[in-house]
Amino acid sequence: MKTKEYVLAAALLLSGLPLVAHHAVSAEFDDKKIVTLKGVISKVDWVNPHIFVYFDAKDENGKVTTWRLQSVPPMFFKGSGLTREKLSDGSDATVTVYPAKDGTEGFGFLVKLTYADGHFYNLGGGAAGPGPGAAPAK
Amino acid sequence: MRFTLTIGLTSFALCAFGQAPTQATNYGPPATSYVMEAAKYPDAAKKPTPHTADGHPDLNGVWHHYFGNLIAPVGDKSFTLDFRKSFGGANAPRATPDPEPQYKPEYLAKVKMLSENQVKEDGTLHCRPPGVPRIGPPQQIVMTPKQAVFLYADITGNQWRVIPLDGHSHSTDPDADFTADGDSVGHWEGDTLVVDVTRLGDDTWLADNGLFHSLKLHVTERLRRVGDTIQYQMTAEDPKVLAQPWTITRTLTLQFDTLGEAPACVDNDAGHYVNSEHHDNGR
Repeated sequence: MKTKEYVLAAALLLSGLPLVAHHAVSAEFDDKKIVTLKGVISKVDWVNPHIFVYFDAKDENGKVTTWRLQSVPPMFFKGSGLTREKLSDGSDATVTVYPAKDGTEGFGFLVKLTYADGHFYNLGGGAAGPGPGAAPAK
Repeated sequence: MRFTLTIGLTSFALCAFGQAPTQATNYGPPATSYVMEAAKYPDAAKKPTPHTADGHPDLNGVWHHYFGNLIAPVGDKSFTLDFRKSFGGANAPRATPDPEPQYKPEYLAKVKMLSENQVKEDGTLHCRPPGVPRIGPPQQIVMTPKQAVFLYADITGNQWRVIPLDGHSHSTDPDADFTADGDSVGHWEGDTLVVDVTRLGDDTWLADNGLFHSLKLHVTERLRRVGDTIQYQMTAEDPKVLAQPWTITRTLTLQFDTLGEAPACVDNDAGHYVNSEHHDNGR
């Protein structure tokens, strides 16, 4: 399920009504493209209306580029057990990203983080694989 | 899912004359969140209604949280957004749709224009305060005999209103500002706290989807404690742009934890939108 659709499902549930997307990801990010990066999270900005994850991506030549990745609202995390500290633990990770449509380099929407031991934080609702996070059909 | 969206938009496009041709109104924090809080404490309204020393119903307390628990653990260390699990699946409680504000016909085009350009025109998407009434019912109330303080941990940041209860009248200062939360005064009518709000600035909206208002907006909030609930009613009257008053009701359920501070709101999106695709707001 694409993020555009998951946010629509979120809006349906949040309101109990057929609304359009809670967050029009597609007005800002290209959900037709997936960029895969390897590196570490260097910082998490725990701010409304969406948290921002800073990801130091390292290419094959060892060059490091810091990506600024938008994610979901901080309220989504309340009571879940996934904390800011867990997000910023500094371990090597692979991240999948929707890049910015306006061409801003190093700016994107965080879809999924996967760590070397296999554990993951899927904040994109299944775009990186259907998994149990896929939103219901309505 | 796209089919569902099409149906929804079509049904609202066919709405009655005089009604804004918008998507369903999303007033205040998501209506479903109140229903889900009520479902967790089903006998709340049957509890005794406590009173303060001055004899009025005790409105002190935390009365609402935005959604939490939307990210679910998977296995030992993984997490995923899981709306299905978080909301209890098909049997999850759902809110009854709110009535739509009825605009005078000559203002429908403006509502449509604002709604179609919501990513630019809606200040709350850029960390500006939602204002009254869009801020919704109080999330926490602090009562003293002479004042009520309404607190909100909003997605736009922390908001607050101080409401005098000591017979204050509205400001008569012709230079007093029109503001997002306006000029509130409160009084008791029996067991109901009535809050009267004027001087509301016109750069905030009644709700999302371009539902603007004029400087003539007058809001009346009524709060009546019933057991461990508050029956909340908001009526917005704007004789300039609305064809009739618009009333929203919510049942608030007493919460037994703290409100918590809203993280600061930082507008990182402005300048990155490449089109006006609609951005609804969970407010």
